[in-house]
Amino acid sequence: MKTAILLFILIATYSIIGTVLPQGLAGEVYLRDYPKIGNLILTLQFDQVYSSWVFRILLGFFIINLVGCTLKILPGQLKRMDKDHFMKASLEAENLYKDDLDIKKFKELIKSKKYYIEENQGGFRASKHKIGNIGSSVTHLGIVVIVLGSFLGNLFAEEGFFNMLPGDIKGFPDYGFSIQLEDFRLAFRENKTVDQYYSDVTILRPNQEPQKETLWVNKPIKVNDLNFYQTSYGWGNDLSIKDENGVELEKKLLRNGESFFYEPEHVTIFLYGFYPDFLLTGAGEPITMSEKKDNPTYAVILYHLNENVGSYIVKPGEPIKYNDINISFENSTLYTGITYRKDFGYFFVVLGSLLLILGLIFSFYFYPKNIIVEEKSIKIATRQNPWGFNYQIKQLVDKALQRGDKQ
Amino acid sequence: MTNLVQMEEMFFLIAFAAYTISAVAFFIYVALKKDKVGNAAVLLTIVGFIFHNIAIVLRVIESGRLPFTNQFEFASSFTWGIVLCYIVIHFVYKFTAVGAFVMPIAFLVMGYASVLPKNIKPLMPALQSSWLYIHVGTAIISYGAFAVAAGLAAMYLIAVNREKEGIKTTSGLPDAEACDYMSYRVIAFGYLMLTLVIITGAIWAKAAWSRYWAWDPKETWSLITWIIYSVYIHLRFNRGWKGKSAAWFAVIGFICVIFTFIGVNTILPSIHSYR
Repeated sequence: MKTAILLFILIATYSIIGTVLPQGLAGEVYLRDYPKIGNLILTLQFDQVYSSWVFRILLGFFIINLVGCTLKILPGQLKRMDKDHFMKASLEAENLYKDDLDIKKFKELIKSKKYYIEENQGGFRASKHKIGNIGSSVTHLGIVVIVLGSFLGNLFAEEGFFNMLPGDIKGFPDYGFSIQLEDFRLAFRENKTVDQYYSDVTILRPNQEPQKETLWVNKPIKVNDLNFYQTSYGWGNDLSIKDENGVELEKKLLRNGESFFYEPEHVTIFLYGFYPDFLLTGAGEPITMSEKKDNPTYAVILYHLNENVGSYIVKPGEPIKYNDINISFENSTLYTGITYRKDFGYFFVVLGSLLLILGLIFSFYFYPKNIIVEEKSIKIATRQNPWGFNYQIKQLVDKALQRGDKQ
Repeated sequence: MTNLVQMEEMFFLIAFAAYTISAVAFFIYVALKKDKVGNAAVLLTIVGFIFHNIAIVLRVIESGRLPFTNQFEFASSFTWGIVLCYIVIHFVYKFTAVGAFVMPIAFLVMGYASVLPKNIKPLMPALQSSWLYIHVGTAIISYGAFAVAAGLAAMYLIAVNREKEGIKTTSGLPDAEACDYMSYRVIAFGYLMLTLVIITGAIWAKAAWSRYWAWDPKETWSLITWIIYSVYIHLRFNRGWKGKSAAWFAVIGFICVIFTFIGVNTILPSIHSYR
């Protein structure tokens, strides 16, 4: 128990570090930004808390502890579920008996509350919710199934990400199908904000009719065992380099943030961004007002041997003259970003979650309740909620009094 | 539509005013033990709750969805959850004085909501899912329950101190033991709801982003809150842990809830930062 609490505290502390310290940056960044504790951060892997060996060991110990604890308490719990087992009232238990109580009515009231009643000399014993005894074990089992299921699921998961322009095909030979993007479209609202991202795809299988599907955010599709998710999008832009006579020397597809090195002129063309609805802020920063092509504009930077030779804001097809060549961008097309994943852990996460919730409901709302009625004595026996249970039985006693009075 | 917006704001402000006055009235009730003041405070809370419901319904009509998607909407719904939990506790257990500790929390959260931008934004693609209503709905109930539990714990600490100092409970404060147990039961309910929040969030994340858990600050802080209440429940259940330490734990747990709600959204960059 003490170990479990200690592990809980350590896991929580470690998790907090992961939320306050930037994660996954290069080692030099930590050494530079935290000169006094940079080395400590890197040694204890505080730069990647959730995948660190310390965190994994803590989680491992936590699971071992939880399993050990459950195995220790389960036999006792199962024993308490036995029909003949009856919990004794504690010494401090309040005697709820009242002289004018109609004991028969009280018994009837208890019966109506679905208590199991066992007569004995001088009184009776009533009990219900024996299932609550195993509540904590079911809860623990749920947590173990979730953690192990997600860990093993992640370990053996097959996952990837790919971008596609309309017409592109991505093959999954191990699964016997290919996926072709027919169209990627954005649905707009009146105020030009994006309502949804849709990828219309065709699933191609040898010797089978093509199967048309559409996926969007929150609506993945499943093909064989692979799930496909709409997770990203962007603009693909045609870069064109022409000579002074208009002869095309090079054509290339560039995405935002990508660059192309044109060797003959030793010039690097960096596409800072494509802005479909361009606006220059007061601070001189290019932004887009929406994803609608209402004012398409490109921001481009040229470098010659790593030296910035100019920054340009140009319209589609508008040439940037550099020595003897003309550089231009046009035909910007949306591409989709799709994540695929195969993960058997999901089943276990859902199963574990159900067990966890069920265990908590057993523990909190179906906890074992016992009433011991002897001569001039009514006492309750429960571990979970003695005050609340006492309150309920007091009310029942009062009800039995009131009814007796009326008659 | 403008009329609806104005009416929503008006009903929201009436509810806020009713909650504020009821918080003050509850304090007077606790100090003077005047039943009439206590009854008036409860009545004001209910009236405020009715107006709050009308404001929420008007917002639902305006936006065409439940008000769960930005900081204002969540703060308003959070207050709704707190007041609902208090009303239930009041009518089941007749704990009028709890209002003196719960309604100030409702007042603070509602006050926070009142200074936030109230404009209605359409749902971003990631939020367009039925899971939103289950995930955020359970969060509202869970947070509301933890607020009430913290109020009960504070009431317990005061009741115990008074008993220790030999002051007889002539005030409206209920029995300390009752506060202690009620706080535990309400935490148990909030904990069950918080578990549902985390589970539904994970299943939703799987459908939207392919992963059920990404260690996003909001997710992590929800887990930390869950761990804190897990420790509380374990100590209480297995070690019979109760009294002052349990009460302080309930207060700390609620501070963690508030940090998860406000702190994470404002300080830590998160995919859950819906302003």
